[in-house]
Amino acid sequence: MKGDISLTRVRTLFKLDLKSRFGTTHKRGVKYRIAQWLNIAFFLAVYAVLILGMYYLTKIFVDRSDLRLEFLVLISLATTVIAAAVATGNIIKNLYQNGDNEMLLRFPVSGREILLAKSIYCFLHNLAVCVLLMLPFYVTFGAVTHAPVGDYFTYIGVILLSSVATFAVGNILAVPAMKIVNAVKNKFVVVLIVTIILVCGAFVIYLISLSSILEYMRDSKQDIFSPEMIAKYRAFATGAYPFRWYAELVNGRRYGTLQAGGLALRFLYILLMTAALCTGAYFITSHEYYKTILYGIESGKSTVSRIVRDKRMSVVRTLLTKEFYLILRSFNYSFEYLAMACAAPIMVFFCNRLAATMGTDTVGGAIMPGITIMVTIIFITVTVSFASTCISREGGCFYMTKVMPVSFKTQILTKFLLYSVVATISVALSCLVSGIYYTSAAGEHALSGVDAAAIWGISEILVISLTSLCMAVDIKWPTFNVSGDGELVAANKNVAIALIVGFFIAIVFGTVVMVCNFFPITIGTWLVSWQGNLGNIYLMLTIVSLILLAASVTALFKGLDKRYNRIIW
Amino acid sequence: MLKVTNLKKIYPKSDRVAVDNISFELKPGEIFGFLGQNGAGKSTTIKCLTGILPFDSGTIEICGYDIVKEPIKAKMNMGYVPDNHSVYEKLTGREYVNFVADLYKVPSELRKERMDRYAKLFRLESAMNRQIRGYSHGMKQKICIIAALIHEPKLWVLDEPMMGLDPQSTAEIIAHMREHCAKGNTVFFSSHNLDLVKKLCHRVAIVNDGHLVDLFDLAGNEANKANLEEKFFRITGTYDKRLFEDYAAQESEDMRPQLPASDEDDPKSAPCVADGSAKQDPAEE
Repeated sequence: MKGDISLTRVRTLFKLDLKSRFGTTHKRGVKYRIAQWLNIAFFLAVYAVLILGMYYLTKIFVDRSDLRLEFLVLISLATTVIAAAVATGNIIKNLYQNGDNEMLLRFPVSGREILLAKSIYCFLHNLAVCVLLMLPFYVTFGAVTHAPVGDYFTYIGVILLSSVATFAVGNILAVPAMKIVNAVKNKFVVVLIVTIILVCGAFVIYLISLSSILEYMRDSKQDIFSPEMIAKYRAFATGAYPFRWYAELVNGRRYGTLQAGGLALRFLYILLMTAALCTGAYFITSHEYYKTILYGIESGKSTVSRIVRDKRMSVVRTLLTKEFYLILRSFNYSFEYLAMACAAPIMVFFCNRLAATMGTDTVGGAIMPGITIMVTIIFITVTVSFASTCISREGGCFYMTKVMPVSFKTQILTKFLLYSVVATISVALSCLVSGIYYTSAAGEHALSGVDAAAIWGISEILVISLTSLCMAVDIKWPTFNVSGDGELVAANKNVAIALIVGFFIAIVFGTVVMVCNFFPITIGTWLVSWQGNLGNIYLMLTIVSLILLAASVTALFKGLDKRYNRIIW
Repeated sequence: MLKVTNLKKIYPKSDRVAVDNISFELKPGEIFGFLGQNGAGKSTTIKCLTGILPFDSGTIEICGYDIVKEPIKAKMNMGYVPDNHSVYEKLTGREYVNFVADLYKVPSELRKERMDRYAKLFRLESAMNRQIRGYSHGMKQKICIIAALIHEPKLWVLDEPMMGLDPQSTAEIIAHMREHCAKGNTVFFSSHNLDLVKKLCHRVAIVNDGHLVDLFDLAGNEANKANLEEKFFRITGTYDKRLFEDYAAQESEDMRPQLPASDEDDPKSAPCVADGSAKQDPAEE
């Protein structure tokens, strides 16, 4: 990677990069602007909720437990890890995997200039992530501890230093990560299995931790943390370098034990560590970047080989096989199609366990059927949402579906079969696992046999309904936005529609079952209570599900030929 | 074999008539050329007759089957090679051709014999078991051609088939078109290569701005053959005497510009530049 660096060319490349990401200054339609404002409003609302959570967390640690430094160490550790992970992902995506590398190399620009221009964007992105992640914590901390104004400047300095350090870590980690990605590029099945295990493992660990916290909080009578727990936090914070240095800087002189000299020393340590990381990142990146992207371009065409017999198959079977191979040989598609379906039984089981932790003899026992049905429908929604790109995924090959001597109905039915069968099996397993455990003494009879059977029945009806709905939506609004090798560039709005509808059904169904099993309900002068007897509620939900099924199947198949013919690619 | 009657197509949200009242009929054993400038309506017509695009009025019959009323039977008799050679790139070449053969219900023995024959013909034997994603432009075109021929269609439709193909493969396709027609089948193809059309086609149609302007015989009609270029240039409104004469001269004369004795001696030779800041010689300006 040799050659002089021209700052003019770097600036041109950077501007080109920004334009390709955020578009031009052309005026957009009203619809687009409304959608943009809604997105911003949604983001701000979620962020506000997070800040509120941060505020309460700070109060718990700082006010109620007097764990100021320990809290800052934990925050520093968590935010740094998250920022470094985001930076690594972002660097891999933009520096190594972006398809424009091959195009840019054709221009009279050097590899160093491309690297620099892209690195500027990645650094700014990382800075924004660090600010969004760390600033609310530090500002909340300052507000709770009534910190002087000067401390807020220290917070900004710490965030800037953290962003540089995490960016350097991201650059260092991106190279081995890319090498692993290149090494397993065509081993889809292995990667898929490992990913599913990792997803399940992470989710199980998360739920077990959450369950432990809930159990701990239930057992704690007076203080939020027991003396043993406080001692553990203190022991951890004592040796957690370099995060303790950041924490000590944020904690400042007023409440900390360090004087100005000590703080300056901490600042120096951080500065030296950041400089060392940056130097390492520079050498590793400048040595490996060009080689890695060149390898990516050169091996981009490397493919799998497979010998098949020229044996005739029925039309439906050949369509199924083709669709399955196209999914299986793409990591993104196979993950979307199979990962959630495989993980659902484990996840439903652990979600129920979490509900059971909340007290099987009080709230938990009563809400168990509602939680089970809600969680099951949520996982169904995520699993079948893959069907909402059934046409869009055809991309440039969409013409094939029009040219082949097979009716559109047969083609759609085949896709429908492939998508719904996975969710059907997944739901059956989820209900079986949860049913067996929670109807037994080990599960403290949190569910009855009727509950398990009814939840299974309703869920299976919803699998068919939601799959039909997803496919109908994609036939109505397909978006053939595909990359070079025919993969969808990003999930389209149809996926969002499918998720919104599915989550809405999950919340409504779950809430109805929970409320009816928990509260006695008065209608007029009559006292109606379904507590412990949900048979009628299940019947009602089954009828609603059947209506949804009829509506969605009609939406998919009525006038299918006419609607399909109208699709133009 | 193929009968198009009063075909009309207007794209949604567009005022322009892409194809306007086009009619023609193809006979068995015929090679038919479809000519026109870019955007004249060639690909739209082809997409309508293959069932890719719905059309506003008119009828299309393939082997007597209406593409709208009996689409499956009509499509069963047709093989189509698209201009963009899009294929399922995640499949191997053999998987893709087998997939197409299954759709057209080609028996196992027959497909194996045909697949091996075509793979050999187009020099794709070693690539058949590899994913199409790794194929070159020309190889993708070849796999599309093999897939279109695997069921030996009565009507073979090709949209600009020679684009990106090596000379040997072009020659093989031409030979195969002739062979295909000799069996009583029909070939319909669009092209920009007037010389090829002149030598290969029995008849030719020229479209301009969505209208079929002329349809005439080439087989056994030397005058039409000789005037094909001029007719094309006149119909498409691009006839310019100097340009046409230049075009016609390409076939008979050596069109290469003369090389200077050496770059240094030639005062006009453009110097290589290190950046984009070099300006033209003010004297030349």
